[in-house]
Amino acid sequence: MSSTVAAKTAAESLTPLRRLALHSTATCAKEATMYGDCILKVYKDVRKDACKEEFLRFGSCVRQAMKKKW
Amino acid sequence: MHLRRAVQNATRSFASHSSPGVVPNQQPHVMNAFQVFDRNAKKLQKDRSVTHPRGSSSTTVDYLRDEVADRLMERLHDIKREFKTLLDLGSGPGHFSKLLEANKVGMVTMLDSSAKLLHRDPDSEFEVPVERIHADEERLLEAIPPNSQEAIVSCLNLHWVNDLPGVLVQAERALKPDGVFMCAMFGGETLFELRTALQLAEVDREGGISPHVSPMTQSQDMSNLLTRAEFKLTAVDVDEVQITYPSMWELLDDIRSMGESNAIIGRRNIIHRDTLTAASAIYKALHGNPDGTIPATFQIIYMIGWKYHPSQRPALKRGAGKVNMQDIL
Repeated sequence: MSSTVAAKTAAESLTPLRRLALHSTATCAKEATMYGDCILKVYKDVRKDACKEEFLRFGSCVRQAMKKKW
Repeated sequence: MHLRRAVQNATRSFASHSSPGVVPNQQPHVMNAFQVFDRNAKKLQKDRSVTHPRGSSSTTVDYLRDEVADRLMERLHDIKREFKTLLDLGSGPGHFSKLLEANKVGMVTMLDSSAKLLHRDPDSEFEVPVERIHADEERLLEAIPPNSQEAIVSCLNLHWVNDLPGVLVQAERALKPDGVFMCAMFGGETLFELRTALQLAEVDREGGISPHVSPMTQSQDMSNLLTRAEFKLTAVDVDEVQITYPSMWELLDDIRSMGESNAIIGRRNIIHRDTLTAASAIYKALHGNPDGTIPATFQIIYMIGWKYHPSQRPALKRGAGKVNMQDIL
């Protein structure tokens, strides 16, 4: 219990960019992999919004973790 | 009157991106080098890498330059000769010069355009007497007299130079006859993983691409440039250094701490959060290692050339060969 609290405060004391890094790699790892796999399928002929749905899921997970909207 | 106005216009910097440090060449018959890099921004980035608030971050990212300096030093040791004077062109804090030994080199001159980086490390870390000159690498001959150096070495600096042919010509002039020029610089394959990840992310998220990773020299161009600068007995070879990072974010962090951030003229000053997030996922999916880490490739081009001296053995005339190669092979 106390260790999760410590981890949480450690995550919050990071700079915004470091927090984005943490959440986009660790917190949302599953969504990141799904998005990456989607790009991997289309990378030879990629166009705008080729993986829109996958990114929407990935992006909203990151936004939720960051507690921020953009 | 007209002429004066034309000159004034020519020296004015127009766009907010253009560097105030760049003054166009005013000789009408000389063409300006194409400006790709913002040299002033690069100088600031390098200065900041030393004075960064998190203290020692500049020294903790020395690993890449130290490794390449070591490999370049091996090549210098292949030359069985002692040098009284050696110029370390674009030395930074002296990654290469620190490795020099007193029985090989009499004195080293370090030259760099970033004063803070140049004076980062104290003289006590060098075995050889050091002189430090704060000057622009592109205007080498303004700081170093012609025919004055027995060797010129440049380790991972010339990839930020706009006028690479010009710098090579100046290096040749600054050398004494039979002096040697050795150089290591980043080649075109460098950071191709990061380049492709950012491009794919930008296309998918924003629908277009912009320059994030510098254009870099190809190895085949280097031998042509060396010959053009009138170096003799030239040789070029290519090597790769691959470094593993936990994720794209650590790579970006280290690149900035090295003072190697983007300095292309006309670069975008921000990357959207979504694009950056997408790029980190793509980097891992496209190039990632099985254990979840990511590799970053640095291609290094090493080159060597000699200033002309009559004692050097020239190539024989075409058709002078007497033995048929077919008989041997």
